[in-house]
Amino acid sequence: MALETSPEAPAPVRQVAMLVGQWINKLGAVWVEGQVSQLNRRAGSATVFLTLRDTLADVSVTVTTPRATLDAMSPPLVEGASVLVHAKPSFWTARGSFSLAAREIRAVGLGELLARLERLRQLLAAEGLFATERKRPLPFLPRRVGLVTARGSAAERDVVENARRRFPGVVVETAYASVQGHRAAAEVIAGVERLDAHPEVDVIVVARGGGNVEDLLPFSDEGLVRAVAAARTPVVSAIGHEQDTPLLDLVADVRASTPTDAARRVVPDLEEEVAGIRATRDVARAVVVRRVEREQAGLDAIRARPSMADPRTMLAARGDEVTALRDRARRTLGHRLDRAADDVDHRRARARALSPLATLRRGYAVVTDADGHLVSATGAAVGVDVRIRVADGRLVATTTAVEADPAGAGPDEEEDA
Amino acid sequence: MSDTTTGAAQSTGEEPLGYEAAREQLIEVVGRLESGGTSLEESLRLWEQAEELARTCQTWLDGARERLDAVLGEQDS
Repeated sequence: MALETSPEAPAPVRQVAMLVGQWINKLGAVWVEGQVSQLNRRAGSATVFLTLRDTLADVSVTVTTPRATLDAMSPPLVEGASVLVHAKPSFWTARGSFSLAAREIRAVGLGELLARLERLRQLLAAEGLFATERKRPLPFLPRRVGLVTARGSAAERDVVENARRRFPGVVVETAYASVQGHRAAAEVIAGVERLDAHPEVDVIVVARGGGNVEDLLPFSDEGLVRAVAAARTPVVSAIGHEQDTPLLDLVADVRASTPTDAARRVVPDLEEEVAGIRATRDVARAVVVRRVEREQAGLDAIRARPSMADPRTMLAARGDEVTALRDRARRTLGHRLDRAADDVDHRRARARALSPLATLRRGYAVVTDADGHLVSATGAAVGVDVRIRVADGRLVATTTAVEADPAGAGPDEEEDA
Repeated sequence: MSDTTTGAAQSTGEEPLGYEAAREQLIEVVGRLESGGTSLEESLRLWEQAEELARTCQTWLDGARERLDAVLGEQDS
C-alpha cells in the first residue's frame, strides 16, 4: 500500500511513523548473532538497553530486553560477549526509533566460539593459507622493523626495548592499532597493510599481551588472516602467552612465543655477532701462526742436524778415517819391523847357539886331524899331529897319549866344524 | 750412488723454489749427506746445496712472519 503524497498533500509524521511501524512489524522474529558492545542497566527500569554490533562490519543496532531475561543468563552477560538474540524488529513510533525487542538472549559459549574458530581454521587451512611452503625466512638484518600493536602497551615496550638492546641501530616503524574489542581486527589489518606497503620495512611484528580467548579473537579474524597471507613482507606473530595460538600464528611466517621472543627473532644480537666474528678471526690467526711456528721448528731441526750444523764433523770424520788408516799402516809396519828384528835376533841366537864359538869360549876345543875330520879317542894313534880349534884361534899339537872312554860316544860324523 | 742432478736443486735462474719444494729437497739432500758413501767432493757439494735450500726455506718463513706481523700489528694497535 504505497502512500500517495506530494508537496501539496503531505502525509503527517504520525502517519509515516505508523506506516513504517507496520512495515517493520511484518518482519517477524529473527535469530541475530552479534557482539554486545554496550550494556546499560538503568536502575529501576524494567527494560534494559544494549547495543549489538556485527562481528565483522561496523554496523550496530539497539536491543531492548526485559530485565528478567537478562538476569536469567548465567554466566551473566558482559560487554564484548558474543551472543545469539531471538528478537522482533520493532519501531517506537513516538520517537521514530528502531530497535530489536529481544525475547531470548543466549551467550555464544566458549565452546561454540572455539568450534566456530575451528571451522574457520579448517576452511583457511584447506585453502592452503597455512602451508609451510608459503613461510618466508626472516631477513637477517631488517632495515626497518614494522610493529603493529597498541600504543604504550607492554607488548610495544617489550619488542622495542629488546630489539634496541640487541641491535642499537634498529629502526622500528610502528602502526598503532587497538588490540581489544570489535575494532581491533580492522585496525590491525590496516596497520599490517600500511607497513607492508612501506618499502623499507623488511619484517612486520604483530604483538599483543596476554588475554582470554575472546580478547584474542580479533587475531583469528578471517580478514586479518587473509591480509597477512597476502602481505609481501614476512610477518611475525607475537600474540598472548606461550600457549595461545590464534589463527594469526598459523598464517604468520614466524610464530614468536612472546613479544620479547619476537624481538630476538627479528634482529641479530650485535655483541654476539661481533664476538663471533672476532672469535673466528682469532682462530684463523692462531692456525696460521701455529703453522708458521711448526714449519720453523722443522727447519730448525734440520739445521741442527750434525751434517748441517757442523759440517766440519763431515771432514773430521774423514780426517779421523785418514788418521786411523795412517795409524794402522804405521802399526802394521811397526809390527812387521819388530817381527823382522825378532826374527834376526832369533836367527842370530840360533846361529850363535849352533856355532861352536860359545862352546869354545866355555873352554872346549874342537880337535881334528889333518884332513879336518874329528878325532876319536878310540883308534887314535900317538904322535899324530892334531889341529885344535879354540875360541880365539887354532893350535897344532902332537898326541902324546890316548885314553879311550868306553862309554863315551864317538864324534857326530855329520856335524861340520 | 746416483749422481744428484744439480739442476733441480739449484734455483738460480728460475723463479725461487716454492717453500714445500725447497723443504722436500732439503730433507732429501741432508738424508743423502748423512747416509755417507759419497765422495768428499760430492759431500761438499751436497752440503752447499743443503745450506742454500735451508736459506730458501728460512726466507719463506721470514716472509710469512712479516706478513703476519704486519696484519697483527695493525689490528692490535
